[in-house]
Amino acid sequence: MASSANANNMNAVRETMDVLLEISRLLNTGLDMESLSICVRLCEQGINPEALSSVIKELRKASDSLKASDN
Amino acid sequence: MAALDQKSPNVLLQSLCCRITGKSEAEVAHQFQYAVRVVGSNYAPTIERDEFLVSEKIKKELLKQRREGDAALFSELHRKLQTQGVLKHRWSVLYLLLSLCEDPRKPSRVGSYGALFAQALPRDAHSTPFYCTRPGSLPLSYPERSGPGAAQISTSMGTSGISSLGVYSLNGPTPQPLLAGHPPQTAGQQLGSRLAWALPNTSALAPTSRAPLGPPPLSTRAPRPRHDGDLTGELGVGEAALVRDILYVFQGIDGKFIKMSNTDNCYKIDSKVVLCKSLRDTSSRLAELGWLHNKIRKYTDLRSLDRAFGLVGQSFCASLHQELKEYYRLLAVLHSQLQVEDDQGVNLGVESSLTLRRLLVWTYDPKVRLKTLAALVDFCQGRKGGELASAVHAYGKTGDPQMRALVQHILSLVSHPILNFLYRWIYDGELEDTYHEFFVASDPTVKTDRLWHDKYSLRKSMIPTFITMDQARKVLLIGKSINFLHQVCHDRTSPGKITPASKSTDSPKDAAELLSDLEGAFQGKIDAAYFETSKYLLNVLNQNYLLLEHLQAMRRYLLLGQGDFIRHLMDLLKPELARPATTLYQHNLTGILETAVRATNAQYDNAEILKRLDVRLLEVSPGDTGWDVFSLDYHVEGPIATVFTRECMSHYLRVFNFLWRAKRMEYILTDIWKGQMCNAKLLKSMPELSGVLHQCHILANEMVHFIHQMQYYITFEVLECCWDELWNKVEKAQDLDHIIAAHEGFLDSVISRCLLDTNSRSLLNQLRAIFDQIIEFQSAQDSLYRSALEELTLRLQYEERKKQRDAEGEWGVTAEQEAEENRRIQEFQETIPKMRSQLRILTHFYQGIVQQFLVLIMTSPDESLRFLSFRLDFNEHYRARDPRLRASLGATRGRRPSNI
Repeated sequence: MASSANANNMNAVRETMDVLLEISRLLNTGLDMESLSICVRLCEQGINPEALSSVIKELRKASDSLKASDN
Repeated sequence: MAALDQKSPNVLLQSLCCRITGKSEAEVAHQFQYAVRVVGSNYAPTIERDEFLVSEKIKKELLKQRREGDAALFSELHRKLQTQGVLKHRWSVLYLLLSLCEDPRKPSRVGSYGALFAQALPRDAHSTPFYCTRPGSLPLSYPERSGPGAAQISTSMGTSGISSLGVYSLNGPTPQPLLAGHPPQTAGQQLGSRLAWALPNTSALAPTSRAPLGPPPLSTRAPRPRHDGDLTGELGVGEAALVRDILYVFQGIDGKFIKMSNTDNCYKIDSKVVLCKSLRDTSSRLAELGWLHNKIRKYTDLRSLDRAFGLVGQSFCASLHQELKEYYRLLAVLHSQLQVEDDQGVNLGVESSLTLRRLLVWTYDPKVRLKTLAALVDFCQGRKGGELASAVHAYGKTGDPQMRALVQHILSLVSHPILNFLYRWIYDGELEDTYHEFFVASDPTVKTDRLWHDKYSLRKSMIPTFITMDQARKVLLIGKSINFLHQVCHDRTSPGKITPASKSTDSPKDAAELLSDLEGAFQGKIDAAYFETSKYLLNVLNQNYLLLEHLQAMRRYLLLGQGDFIRHLMDLLKPELARPATTLYQHNLTGILETAVRATNAQYDNAEILKRLDVRLLEVSPGDTGWDVFSLDYHVEGPIATVFTRECMSHYLRVFNFLWRAKRMEYILTDIWKGQMCNAKLLKSMPELSGVLHQCHILANEMVHFIHQMQYYITFEVLECCWDELWNKVEKAQDLDHIIAAHEGFLDSVISRCLLDTNSRSLLNQLRAIFDQIIEFQSAQDSLYRSALEELTLRLQYEERKKQRDAEGEWGVTAEQEAEENRRIQEFQETIPKMRSQLRILTHFYQGIVQQFLVLIMTSPDESLRFLSFRLDFNEHYRARDPRLRASLGATRGRRPSNI
């Protein structure tokens, strides 16, 4: 039924996310679970992954410089 | 995917921003706008949407980081992903992850020490323990080290690799963590736990890594717990204490137990100390390093105080200093190890301590390097400048690649000043060499007129061995030409125009490049500069100073090349020069010279040349006629005087003298012949004179023949041949030195062939004697003709008178007149035998001299002179008279057909 199908879906989704997290850790991307899920959702909606990755890099740089200036 | 929230991309982006920066929504407004803009503009991806490609790329990336296990893991995960089929845009997610992938070994983006080390920990801490620990690699060779310098140690460029020690063991703290940031060359990642332990170590180390550490004060050390390495009892010295001592000895400072003994010039262990043999041996071996260090240090300290050491020596000391710095860095690291152990006060086990054995292994490579340096220092004692460079170069000829690399590096630093000197010299002609290190020496006392010949010379001892003699000579020539152009030719074109200035050695790296390609690039540079400069110099000389024209003018005037001018001059000068020398005035003669010039083809010559032509009167000795003191002269000055030096001019004048005399003989004989032709007819009526006249004619002919042959020899075989050779060489000459050498060769050969050099003095004397005879003959003949003609006129007068009286009707002659006439005729006829005998003596004398001359010529080494003898005696007239000639002539003549 719907709920079991939903549950199955949920499982599948959770598994997929786990796999993706594992891959992300392998590749040292530095993304934690929540950022990763946001990214996956963005990609599924058709965002260009190149643009997204440059945005993330830029954000990280900005945050580092902010941190450094704070120190 | 129903499970996921269908939030709009903007919302998602904003939450992403917050998440990554860790700030609240309001603060990330700026970043959010940026993100929206970026995402909005790059809507379509530029790459292939190929999942397979992306996964391959990921695998390759992992393999590049040598994580084969991880690559396999990833393949597993990827497969799982594919089977799950939840995601729609798998490739996009994978691509995103790939682009965010970071190499854990790369240095982080931020460059501060603290942050760097702080970040290193978390990354490594949660990486999977699949790193392989490898045994350490040996120190790097130079080309690799001078590559991208590490962010931490920026001073490691261009030095030896003492400080980059590899990990020699899996265990134990090593100096490795300091260099953890180095790209691939450094090996052996530490296990995470070890890193955690080593971290406080590195942060303490970072600020102190640059300066050599002083010895930590002994007194503050806590007594260390005993290690297993100690085999002695309570009274013995522990290994740890020995290690500490050794570390002092490494720097050249006496330790507690190991001191420098000056008598033996080595480090000795105090005999009072109780040590087991193995420890003693090991310590002695280690102490060698300290001895080597002292040696090098002493040299550099001594030399840096020496102010006159010169640039080359200073760069040598600087390179030694750099090497020592590396060595100190190693010592600093070792010291810090000890200090850490002391500070922690915890015995981390045998593997983590510093033992003599470990020191031995770690200092093996530095020891080899220091040995090379010490040998180099020994070899270079007391040398400076180019000699020093030669010494270092000699040491570079070894098969050991490490040693060769080290010596090549030092050589490139050391030769850099020399190459700088060289480039300045060949491109600018400037020499600023206060310490006399360069191999071109300049003599400041020489003035500009001798600039080319004397001012610059080669200092042979300072020529480095990697520069050949030929190259050194060319270098000297190039600089000399530039200076010559500036000072003597007053040509102010900048040297940059002469040779397009190529890049000079600005840095030691250029010098190293050049040294590695001495045959090609360096030779090419020198050759190019040489050709250009010499060509320019010759152009200037030929166009502005008419060098070749002057050469030809010398030939025409001083070597009697311009025949019509010389003849006319002689005609005009004859009456003047017959007077005694003391009555001659120079201005008279100069006037005659100018008349001669104007009347002949010489007037069409270049005005420059004509204005240099002049008359010179030689020194007057008593009894000289004008012929003996007259000479032409040619004034030279400026750059031309470099080719026509004073010695050259004196040679020219000697040759002129000789040629002028020979010409004069020709002239005299022409006169004699003229007289003979005229008077023969006249004196036909006096049959008693016919015998005498016949003798005169014969002698004159002989003399004419002789002089004819001599003139031929001089003009064709000597002057023309030498001149041709000279002209060929001058036209092919590539630089001024060639021209000068060719010119001097020309003069030398002319002088030797004209019998003017010291070897042919006897020949010359004979020739002079012959000339004198000719002059005597001339005067004898003159007097003969005079008396004969007088007699003739008297007789004619007598006949005239007789006829007249007949016509008047008287007796032609009275008896007394007739008797008087007969008496006079008788007297006259009595003088004839005297004349005849005089002539006979003259002839005899002349022939004797000619025979002697022939004999001397026959034995001369010069071939053309020998051929001259054949021509002089073509009908063997002299051979018949002289037995000596018969023998020598016959000998050669007999040989001649066989040679053909």
